[in-house]
Amino acid sequence: MTDPRARHQAFEKVWGNLPGFGTLAAVNHTSIGLRFMVTGMLFFLVGGLLAMLVRTQLALPEQEIIGPEAYNQFFTMHGTVMMFLFAIPVLEGLALYMIPKMIGARDLVFPRISSLGYYCYLFGGLIILSSLFLGIAPDSGWFMYTPLSSAEYAPGPGSDFWLLGITFVEISAMAAGIELTVSILRSRAPGMTLTRMPIFCWYILAMALMIIFGFPPLILGSILLELERAAGWPFFEVAGGGDPLLWQHLFWLFGHPEVYILFLPAAGIVSTLIPVFARRPLVGYRWIVLSILLIGFISFGLWVHHMFTVGIPQLAQAFFSVASMLVAVPTAIQVFAWLATLWTGRVAFSLPMLWIFGFLIIFVCGGLTGVMLALVPFNWQVHDTHFVVAHLHYVLVGGMFFPLMAGLYYWLPHISGRMPSERLGYWGFWLTFIGFNATFLLMHLTGLLGMPRRVYTYEAGLGWDWLNLLSSVGGFIMSAGIALILMDLLLHFRFGKPASRNPWNADTLEWATNTPPSAYNFGSIPDIDSRHPLWDDPGLPDSIAAGDHHIPEIDHGRRELLGTDAIGARVREVMHIPTNSWWPLCAALGLALVCISLLVRVYPLALFGLVIAGIFLFRWSWENGAHPKAAPLGVNERTDPPLHSRTTDGPGRWGMIVTLMADATLYLSLLFGWFYLWTVSPDWRLPEETRLSTSGLMATGVLLTLTVFRYRRLTERLRAGQDSGLWPASVQTSVLALLHLGSLIWVIASAGLEPGALAHDAVLSVMLYYLLFHSLVATLASLLQSARIKLGYVSAHLPYEAIVLKPFWIYTLAIFWISYTAFLLLPLAWGGSP
Amino acid sequence: MFGFSVVVMAALYGLWWYAMRRDPGEISDQQAQRHQNRWVIWGGLALPIGSITLLLAFGIPAGHRMLPLPPAEGEALVIEVKAHQWFWQVRYPERDIELINALVIPANTPVDIHLTTADVIHSFWVPRLGGKLDTIPGRTNVLRLEADRTGDFHGQCAEFCGAGHAHMPFVVTAKSAEDYQQWLNNPDARTQGDRDD
Amino acid sequence: MIRRLWQPTHPVHTTLGLLLWALWFVVLYGGLSIVCAVAPPAAASGALTGLNGGLLLLTATVLALLAIMTWRCWRAGKAQAPGSSERFMARLGAGAHGVSALATLWIGLPVVVLPPCV
Ligand code: HEM
Ligand SMILES: [Cu+2]
Ligand SMILES: [Cu+2]
Repeated sequence: MTDPRARHQAFEKVWGNLPGFGTLAAVNHTSIGLRFMVTGMLFFLVGGLLAMLVRTQLALPEQEIIGPEAYNQFFTMHGTVMMFLFAIPVLEGLALYMIPKMIGARDLVFPRISSLGYYCYLFGGLIILSSLFLGIAPDSGWFMYTPLSSAEYAPGPGSDFWLLGITFVEISAMAAGIELTVSILRSRAPGMTLTRMPIFCWYILAMALMIIFGFPPLILGSILLELERAAGWPFFEVAGGGDPLLWQHLFWLFGHPEVYILFLPAAGIVSTLIPVFARRPLVGYRWIVLSILLIGFISFGLWVHHMFTVGIPQLAQAFFSVASMLVAVPTAIQVFAWLATLWTGRVAFSLPMLWIFGFLIIFVCGGLTGVMLALVPFNWQVHDTHFVVAHLHYVLVGGMFFPLMAGLYYWLPHISGRMPSERLGYWGFWLTFIGFNATFLLMHLTGLLGMPRRVYTYEAGLGWDWLNLLSSVGGFIMSAGIALILMDLLLHFRFGKPASRNPWNADTLEWATNTPPSAYNFGSIPDIDSRHPLWDDPGLPDSIAAGDHHIPEIDHGRRELLGTDAIGARVREVMHIPTNSWWPLCAALGLALVCISLLVRVYPLALFGLVIAGIFLFRWSWENGAHPKAAPLGVNERTDPPLHSRTTDGPGRWGMIVTLMADATLYLSLLFGWFYLWTVSPDWRLPEETRLSTSGLMATGVLLTLTVFRYRRLTERLRAGQDSGLWPASVQTSVLALLHLGSLIWVIASAGLEPGALAHDAVLSVMLYYLLFHSLVATLASLLQSARIKLGYVSAHLPYEAIVLKPFWIYTLAIFWISYTAFLLLPLAWGGSP
Repeated sequence: MFGFSVVVMAALYGLWWYAMRRDPGEISDQQAQRHQNRWVIWGGLALPIGSITLLLAFGIPAGHRMLPLPPAEGEALVIEVKAHQWFWQVRYPERDIELINALVIPANTPVDIHLTTADVIHSFWVPRLGGKLDTIPGRTNVLRLEADRTGDFHGQCAEFCGAGHAHMPFVVTAKSAEDYQQWLNNPDARTQGDRDD
Repeated sequence: MIRRLWQPTHPVHTTLGLLLWALWFVVLYGGLSIVCAVAPPAAASGALTGLNGGLLLLTATVLALLAIMTWRCWRAGKAQAPGSSERFMARLGAGAHGVSALATLWIGLPVVVLPPCV
């Protein structure tokens, strides 16, 4: 098969989406990435429309066009839509689209998870949006402070839409985080060591890891608040022993890293584009990697700067104040590394560069006001005023939207195969840029003059009138700019001039694919020996298409990726990944059913939805490894490198470990909540008597320990290549696991906790259900695995799946004993009853 | 602070603009490395570190002065303010005085406002007199204020608290010591603002 | 395995210092909050309390550790060939440790001047 056309057709047959409605079953990263981006842009328009309504209301003092009730819904939804439904998903979409192409892979390593993520995002977004049309949208601000968002002060379903909808959407962020991490670490082209990775991949790796550690606190917080609203468990209610400040801690533990989750990929775009247009390698690659690392860590130590006015000791505030100023260091390093790159290069000016220039102007200004806000006394003055609104838009629009537009125009030829327009695009930029500054520069002043944020109107004569009017005019100029850009894009796909291959003369591998890209990206996977493969060898696209490099075969009919090791990118295995699948859509529909029935409070239906979603997910996991739909043993068996399902350290194990890191963060947030309430909740109370059986729990823990040891022996033997007695061993594990599960259920049921009355019991119950959930999932997985052993899908030859499950069992064991200590023994030692 | 920021900003924009326009000629990798070190070390490290040091040298003492530490002599005057959806209830614990949406304080005297809430979180803010502080369910926060002249000061709620948030203003009236004493003995109705809801 | 991880040229060293910093930060803030909730020192004694002393001691220890680790990485980087992956990682590690040390120093400084619990 040397004829390139024939090769292309053979590859498309394996890699292409199904025709017609079958496209809904697509799992391919190019399709999913584009869907994320397009959906996100649509949500952006919704958010923009809401912003226009807000600005209309604020244009003149004492207007009553929109009453306070509607206004509160509008600004809350504006913030929520922009942050959760536009900014994050669009950037995720860009990363999903771009990363495999940049690292020389044909797809992400868990394609079905991409698809699940997309549907969760879509359905969750639609559910949240529907509340707006029903007139019952959330109205407590995008950070949903309790008690304003609690059942007492927000009795309608608005808060429920927010909590449930956002948690649902969050699944997609977690999915993307896990998948991007594992893909970047394990599927780079051979020879692409960490130090040769395109800089964008570093940014995305950091973003993905930050999602993994940043989102769980919010997910936990949302679950707790929803439990409080729906079932009256008083986590945040003082009368029951809770504390509303716990919500603020959990929210901002997520919320601050979140803004860096948005900034990092955007900065990645800047770092990718500047060298291309300066025609010079990025100056200070290592400095930039250093600042990415610093941002990744330091941004987790800043969250209290959103809470400087809640009455925390000033010494504690000082820690966070200094830490907040410190992020200026990595940011400045990047800005000056970009400057140095431009300094040493000869810059070709074009539309993407214009957006980058706009980014710099706006973002630097936002960064400087950010340092000011970190100063505690100044913060006390301008916190919660329009100064903050101005600051946050300078950072978000400047630091995220402008680079995104730069990236969009830069990669447009890649997506459409056509060049962006000149004239219309420039007009769009200038209108947006001028409109933006007119809107928000003045808002700094409005805030300094004392105008609080989130007021639906204001008195005349306080000096705010003309500023607000000009801000509103600016807002409409900016919308005109956005409208023009939109028109430009629509015209582009119809009339754009065809682009040549690699039109900007870029250095990274994504430009070695066809434009628009084929479903499989690369006909063969090249060896990489520098950071600039396309500058070194402009002929690379042709030799890739001709199949001159690794894994050019396709007659086996599998979708194959090359698996390489995390640091040195040496070839380790060939990963066979799933093709088009309906299971993600089905599972997402099941989860949507759960979400909706929780909203309307029909709990049996929610349980039913959960069960069917679970069934779909397990059914999905069935089509793996040696299953006939995946890579059955025998025919066309590769040995060097082997197929990943024949190895013991494949992508599944990595995915499992990364997932468990996120899971552990959720658990740590719960532990934090427990200790937090225990020490500082104003009205913390203990139940009168111990109700949970300490010895009963000990017994079930012993059973769990036995289960895990049994399972560990099984996997050790598999690793050593022995599978005699595999099935009995697996059945023994499952039986022990069932015993453990049964006794755990019994302990919980007989504990007689009163989560509705005391925050203490409420946290304890959440912990117990968390343990139960893990034990249940592990047990079900073990039972299924026994069946798969019987069918011959797991054996000495196919040890993979057993090894994937092992970390999950060990995690289940660890959280059990940690909980036992932290929730039962420690308080006992402290002198209370648990 | 603002002046310094504007200078930094203008300098950066200028440099960036020049960097885009200038033609560097042929540059070897070694020269690029030198440029890198110069820009990154001076601009990326020295500049922010220097600015932050300056900012903190000014900021930490400023914050220290605003703390409600026990004053050198005597005790600070205590006024209790309880926030409601959507009005402010003001009590003078030593007297039997209760005001709505209005405070009367002596000028040039430190006053400790003890902030609580009857329902959700609000924030007590008099822009001309000092920073804001939230009212949190289950807690009492103490805000130290001092008016350096007599007269009326406009105040308002600064933390979003629901439908009436935009309509939660109050007035702080600072009186001279004698006037204040007189007022304490005979709080007239004029200062007892209306409950606004 | 552990031996290999301990080599200053291994990529884990790029995050080790930052992890230590994060841990220190948690202990600093958590410790302060817990002591202030359980047994707050009198506001009148200013910054001269046992609590401030303890936090300062902790800070100094972490600072010393980070300084040593910075130096270790820097030295290891020098020994490697320019342009090699090992040198890259060692240098990156030195930078990360160095900035962590700087962050520790700065964030720890207010402990000297501010009273702990008001
Ligand atoms: C299209 C131009 C935009 C305009 C004219 C605009 C306008 C506004 C205004 C006036 C507010 C203040 C509402 C209030 O406090 O009463 C606001 C809040 C906010 N905006 Fe925007 N915005 C725009 C774009 C964006 C973008 C792109 C993002 C994020 C990526 C964003 C995120 C937010 C957030 C998070 C809030 C806070 C919402 C809250 O207080 O709950 N905005 N916006
Ligand atoms: Cu923040
Ligand atoms: Cu309010």
